[in-house]
Amino acid sequence: MGAYLLQRTLLMVPTFIGITLIGFLIMRLAPGDPAELRAAGGLGAAAGGGISVEKRGSVDEAMAQWRAQYGLDKPLHVQYAVWMKNLLTLSFGESFKDNQSVWGKIVERLPVTVKLNFWSILVVYLVAIPLGIYSATHPNSFADQATTLAAFVLFAVPLVWAATMAIVFICGGDFYYLFPPGGLESLDFSDNWSIWKKITDHAWHLFLPVVLLSYDGFAGLSRYMRASMLEVLRQDYVQVARAKGLQEKIVIYKHVLRNSLIPQVTLFASILPGLIGGSIIIETVFSIPGLGQLGFESVLARDYPTVMALFTVSAVLTLIGILISDILLSVVDPRIVFGRRLQ
Amino acid sequence: MFWRTWRFVLALLLLIGCGDKTEVKVPDAPPAAEQVSGKPVTGDWLVIHSLSDPEQLNPLTSSDASSAEVNQYIFESLLSREPRTLEFKPYIAEARPEISNDKLSYTFKIRRDVRFQDGRPVTGEDVLFSLKVIKCPLVNAPFLRVYFNSVVDAQLLDPYTIRFVTKERYFLNESVLGQEIKILPRHYYDPDNLLKNVSVRDLLKDPQLNENVKKFADNFNKNYNRNPMGSGPYKFHRWKTGQEIELTRDPNYWGTGKPGIDQAYVDRLKFRVVNNMDAALVRLKSGSLDYMEVLQPVQHVRGTNSERFNREFKKYEYYAPTYSYIGWNNNHPIFRDKRVRQAMTYLTDRKQIVKSVLFGLGEVVDSHIYFFRPEYDKTLQSYPFDPQKALALLNEAGWKDTDGDGVLDKVIDGKKVPLRFEIKVNSGNAVRKSVALVLLDELKKHGIAASVRELDWTIFLNDVKNHQFDAVVLGWQMSTTEPDAYQVWHSSQAANKGSNAISYKNARVDEILETYRREFDAQKRIQMYKEFQEIIHDEQPYTFLYVAKRVSAVHRRFQGVEVFPDGLRPIDWWVPVTRQKYLNTVTAQ
Repeated sequence: MGAYLLQRTLLMVPTFIGITLIGFLIMRLAPGDPAELRAAGGLGAAAGGGISVEKRGSVDEAMAQWRAQYGLDKPLHVQYAVWMKNLLTLSFGESFKDNQSVWGKIVERLPVTVKLNFWSILVVYLVAIPLGIYSATHPNSFADQATTLAAFVLFAVPLVWAATMAIVFICGGDFYYLFPPGGLESLDFSDNWSIWKKITDHAWHLFLPVVLLSYDGFAGLSRYMRASMLEVLRQDYVQVARAKGLQEKIVIYKHVLRNSLIPQVTLFASILPGLIGGSIIIETVFSIPGLGQLGFESVLARDYPTVMALFTVSAVLTLIGILISDILLSVVDPRIVFGRRLQ
Repeated sequence: MFWRTWRFVLALLLLIGCGDKTEVKVPDAPPAAEQVSGKPVTGDWLVIHSLSDPEQLNPLTSSDASSAEVNQYIFESLLSREPRTLEFKPYIAEARPEISNDKLSYTFKIRRDVRFQDGRPVTGEDVLFSLKVIKCPLVNAPFLRVYFNSVVDAQLLDPYTIRFVTKERYFLNESVLGQEIKILPRHYYDPDNLLKNVSVRDLLKDPQLNENVKKFADNFNKNYNRNPMGSGPYKFHRWKTGQEIELTRDPNYWGTGKPGIDQAYVDRLKFRVVNNMDAALVRLKSGSLDYMEVLQPVQHVRGTNSERFNREFKKYEYYAPTYSYIGWNNNHPIFRDKRVRQAMTYLTDRKQIVKSVLFGLGEVVDSHIYFFRPEYDKTLQSYPFDPQKALALLNEAGWKDTDGDGVLDKVIDGKKVPLRFEIKVNSGNAVRKSVALVLLDELKKHGIAASVRELDWTIFLNDVKNHQFDAVVLGWQMSTTEPDAYQVWHSSQAANKGSNAISYKNARVDEILETYRREFDAQKRIQMYKEFQEIIHDEQPYTFLYVAKRVSAVHRRFQGVEVFPDGLRPIDWWVPVTRQKYLNTVTAQ
């Protein structure tokens, strides 16, 4: 096991380099130039008043100065090397927008995104697993078919549409005012509030985003759960368990459930990156200052250091997530023994 | 960024002064002030919708509109503009500058009663320091610096008198010096006085050699982006990233009660970030926003007309000084011929576009000069929608369907070319796309095969700058103060990715643009620009489309809300004591 882990960890290094290299290239080869964006201030918006711009040359010079400031005038492979070198010292560089450290920006927004995703992942699992079990143990019943239909409908509803509808109808426009239309805190939020008041205010703001973020997740997950349960239910050893007169409860929860969790463990690998990944749609529609919003704004502004940092962090978490789920697999399924295969 | 300060106000007065033979319909001037009762009082908050977080709040290194929006309350400059007449008015300066006979040096005298927000006086040293920061090549403000290329030196004649020397005779230099230098407190932004012994001339030479300059620039670029301090009526209070920025009224503001200085009444300005327009409107209705500067046309037409909405909010409609146009690539074999360009304008049903695409919220225009400006040429005959005339022009230019394939063609440079082209628009702009589609439908009927292509903004921008297009739908900001269209129309700006992306070239226009910039007599400049507009009107390098109206919504408890030619001015707003909403929550300073 130890040797296996070591080997896996070492293998992650070239994988990581490959991922970041590809990510770097995709980002840099995509059209769009941050200097140009800045100089134009939006070509469509810039002034008719050409103030003392004798020649376009001076603007070009300004762009060159700007690029030099951020090292964008060097060849691409040199830039990648510099980036990698900085990474080894755990530095993601500085944002083009305000010269602040990218790491600081991520740390500032991380709690928001984690809070949001933690609750939504929890909801997804708490709803999806029992729902899947119920569907699988009552196949083709009315309840099964109703949940199947509901799951597919939810799965098909675009998140951005659902979020907009929720805001328009239940967030205090012309209809009902049940939840705030976004943000994290009330307008008059003050540090002097009692802890309890702060918590309820936060919960009130997070409720809708969490629900929306969860619904299409549990639609998918409950289907997986149902399918893998049904698969196991058809196995011979389940027949045997029933034949020897075990209680149905024990058959389902001891034999079937545990064996049908194996595919779920694989899915578990995506939780870690999912926690920080953030949802661009939900965070943008609800104006939640998390990592999804940061990523979206950074891509639009071609803020390369920030984009690369977010990309790298989620790559690392994905790699770790896969490793953990592989280890967990050997825990839930004793047949899987990694160490021996290596010898 | 700079355009925000440029689009100052225009004048009703000037309009009346020169309006006689009106052939092009000029829209109504902004409505006069509403009757306001009572004397303004302080108190309450104003919660303003902001579509995105500013990048940063350093007034010299930031380059986005959201930053300018916030910084205008914190920083001041030597001159300002009278909101209604757009005339210069002295602000931090005692008077407008003394300009030397050769029009190259400008001498400003600074008021002695101006204080920064920490109570220390504003002196010539601070003004000089602010200019040095702009001119310092290591400071991360290259795009602002471009505007100051002409400024080569500055000295203090005494602690309250500063003289700027420019190398170019240019009538807008007064405006650059007077309005673009946001005055920073030297003692706050350069506490160690590292720039003390460095002159503006030194900075032009080789600043790399000077350790102090390097140290200053590093510090300035990094550590002053989220903590602005100036001499304006509002102090920076806090910034919750991605959520809101809060400014508080400075109770010790130096300008309080002084004539000609903007008075602030609202105790707190909150810029609330709401990225999504639908959500923003819902927030407005639910009471967590007081002011949305921009409502989408569809939100104006539907969604904000209920009785309840109108009881709580008042909507203001006014022209936003921006025009849209279709730019024809003047180097393109098809569009080289001005008759083809004229025909395209005849084929564009601009009135219909305003009606159906903009819900009537706009005005068809035929010039790039704002119609409230004295430079605007009111004698221009608008091109009507006239397909017959367009076809006659195309025929005259040699376009006929010789091979019967349903598409007009012509032999150009020995090659048969069909009348086929592509209109590029940026994706995400539904209005521009609709404009292109309306035109497309019309063109199809007359044997012209056009298509529309949507591109991501940065890719689109790249194509436009590199002249990689047949036609584009775009917009320009118009100057509400003295315009200078050199950048857009001078032939030199067609090279090297300049703003003359359509490669317009006309020797007479070049000559006008050059002499105009050197002319200090406003009347002569107006005459020059009239001729310039006539040439453009005849040659139709653009098909000018419209100036759209903006609709803003403001909560009714605010008094003193007036539409100026340049829009609304929240600084003037106040709330009567009995209607103040956030009365109890205000903490005294």
